[in-house]
Amino acid sequence: MMYDIDLVVIGGGPAGLMAANTATEAGAEVLLLERDGHLGGQLVKQTHKFFGSEKQHASVRGIDISTMLGDRLDSFGERATVWKNATAIGFYEDGVITVDHDGIYKKVKPKRVVVATGASEKFLSFPNNDLPGIYGAGAVQTMMNVYGIRPGHRVLMIGAGNIGLIVSYQLMQAGVSVAAIVEGLPQIGGYAVHAGKVRRAGVPILTSHTILRADGKESVERATIARIDRTWNAIPGTEKTIECDVICISVGLTPLAELLWQAGCEMRYIPSLGGSVPLRNNCLETTVKGVYVAGDVTGIEEASAAMVEGHLAGLEAAASLGFKGDRYSEERKDCMEQLAALRSGPTAEKIRTGLACAECL
Amino acid sequence: MLINTGVPTREQIERRLPSPERRARGPYAMVECFQEIPCNPCSTSCPFDAILPMGDINEIPMIDHDRCTGCGVCASVCPGLAIFIIDESVGDGTASVTIPYEFRPLPEKGETVRAVNREGCVIGDAIVTRVLLSKKTKTPLVTIRVSDGLVHEVRFFNLIDDKAVSDATSLKRKEEPITVDSACASDDDEIILCRCEGITLRTIRDLIREGYTTVDEIKRISRAGMGACQARTCGPLIAAEIARMTGQPISEIQPSAHRAPVKPMPIEFFLGGDSE
Repeated sequence: MMYDIDLVVIGGGPAGLMAANTATEAGAEVLLLERDGHLGGQLVKQTHKFFGSEKQHASVRGIDISTMLGDRLDSFGERATVWKNATAIGFYEDGVITVDHDGIYKKVKPKRVVVATGASEKFLSFPNNDLPGIYGAGAVQTMMNVYGIRPGHRVLMIGAGNIGLIVSYQLMQAGVSVAAIVEGLPQIGGYAVHAGKVRRAGVPILTSHTILRADGKESVERATIARIDRTWNAIPGTEKTIECDVICISVGLTPLAELLWQAGCEMRYIPSLGGSVPLRNNCLETTVKGVYVAGDVTGIEEASAAMVEGHLAGLEAAASLGFKGDRYSEERKDCMEQLAALRSGPTAEKIRTGLACAECL
Repeated sequence: MLINTGVPTREQIERRLPSPERRARGPYAMVECFQEIPCNPCSTSCPFDAILPMGDINEIPMIDHDRCTGCGVCASVCPGLAIFIIDESVGDGTASVTIPYEFRPLPEKGETVRAVNREGCVIGDAIVTRVLLSKKTKTPLVTIRVSDGLVHEVRFFNLIDDKAVSDATSLKRKEEPITVDSACASDDDEIILCRCEGITLRTIRDLIREGYTTVDEIKRISRAGMGACQARTCGPLIAAEIARMTGQPISEIQPSAHRAPVKPMPIEFFLGGDSE
C-alpha cells in the first residue's frame, strides 16, 4: 500500500525533531522516519552542555534536549507518527519515498518532505588505516556514551575541531587517557574553551601535525605523526611515535545528501559547508518543489543552528500546505534572527561564506 | 596564542582580573572566555546581573565585579567550563579556586589533591574545601585551597592515586616484543581505500593512470564504493585522489551517481512489502 500524508520528515535528530514538532503544531499530519531505534540522532551521545542561547537550549546537555524534543512530539498523539528503525532508502522522481521499516518494505507519498538526514564522517587515508582500533570520532562517542563501552586505554585523536576536542574530553570522563590531539591546520579549529578543558586535563594539542601511519600486529599499537609544512607535506626529521591502542579520526563531516541527489535537487560543492549541499531559498526549500532541508545536510554547522533550521523548515513546509497559524510571521522572523545571531561571530565566518553560495534561489 | 595552544596568555588573564581592592574583599567570578562564540548562558543566569547583557550572543562576557558575589551560578552553567570562582580574601597565605569538575570519582572535602595549571602541569598541592553538586546543570563545583601565589595559575586538579586515571594511563602491554608485521602494509599504495570491497590506493592510482578519471568509472571497473557504506567513506577519498593526480579542482569531480536503495538490501525485502 501507499501511505498518503501531509509531511514526511526524514531523520529524527535535532533538525528533524524540530521540523516535525513545528509542522505538527501548525496542524499538519506528520510522519517522522528515524533510522535508529530511538529518536535524537547525534543528540543522544552529546553529554556536554550546549552553546547558543536559551532558545536553542544553551547550557542543557544534548541528551536532555533529545528527551525534551521527543516528549514534545509524543504529546501530539496520533497527529505525529514516528517510525523508528526506519531508513528512507529511495526518493523517486514522482515523489515516492521507499522505506525499510523494521525489515518491511513501505512506500510513502507525502505532499511535502523535510530531509534532515545529517552528515557522515570524513575519513583519512594512511598506511594501515584499516587496523582494528581506528575509529571515527562518532563511533567512539556512540560506543562510550550510548552503549557504555570503553574503546581502549590510550587514544590518539586526529583533529582539533569541536568534535575532536569534545570527544577527547568525553574519553577522559570515561577513564580513557588521551595521548595527544593532532591537528593539520596551524590553529585549533574548535572553540578555545573546549581546547582549554582538555589542555588543563593534561592533553597536548599538536597543531600543524598529521598522522603518517599506524602500526601494530593485530590491532593498533602505535602511530607515527610528523610536523607538516604549509602545503601539508611532512617535514622529514620531525616524525614521532606515539603509543596508543585507539586512533580516533575527527577530520570533519560531510552532508549525507544521497536522497536529495536521487530526488533531483540541484547540488553544489561548497568546501566550507563540508561537501555537496542542496541549493535552497530562504524558506529552506530546494530546487525540487515541496522538498525542504534542515540541519547538517544543508551544510555542516552546530546542533543549535540545526534546531532552528528544523523549526524554519517545518514551519514553511506546513505553511505551504495552508497550515499557517497566527504566529507564522513572528516565528519565521524569530528563526531568521536566531540563525543570523548564531552565524554572526568570527567562528562562523566559513559558514557565512558557504551559505552565501548555497542560499541563492 | 590561544588559538594555537588552547591556553590563554598571561596578558589575557591579567586583563580580566578585578582591582586589588575588589580581590581582597571576597570571592569573584573569573570568566576565562576570550573568543567570540555564540553563547550567552552566563549573562542570562547571573542572579545579580553582574554579567552584562549581551547585545549580540557572540560578545565576550563582561563582568561588573562590584555586583558579583562569587556565588558560582555562572560557573556551573557555562557550557565551556570557563568560569572559575576565586577567593583571595582568606588572608592566611592561602586562597581558593572553585573549578567546574565533570569527572568521577569526585574528591571528598578535606582530601589532598594535586593542583594543576592551565597547561595540565602539576604545580603544587591543594586541599578540597567544598564539593557542590548541581541537580540542574549536573556540573559539580569543587573548591580547592592553594597557597595564594598559585591562585591565578591553578585551574584543575588530579586525584592522588586515582584508580581510574592510573588504570587509563598504563597502556596494556603485550608480552611479545613489538615487531612490524610483514602482513602490515608499509607502502602508501597498500592503503585500503574502499574498505567494503577491499580496494587499495594502488589499484585506484593505476586506474586513474589508465584514464579512469571519474568516481563512477572507477566504481564500475573496480567495485570501489559498491559495498555496505555505498561510497560514504571512500567516495570523497577517491575524488580527492582523482583531483590530486589530474590537477582538477575537487569541486569539479562529480560524486558517483546516487541511486536507490541507499544501502544494500536483500531482494526478498522488495518482494515482501507491506500489504496491509
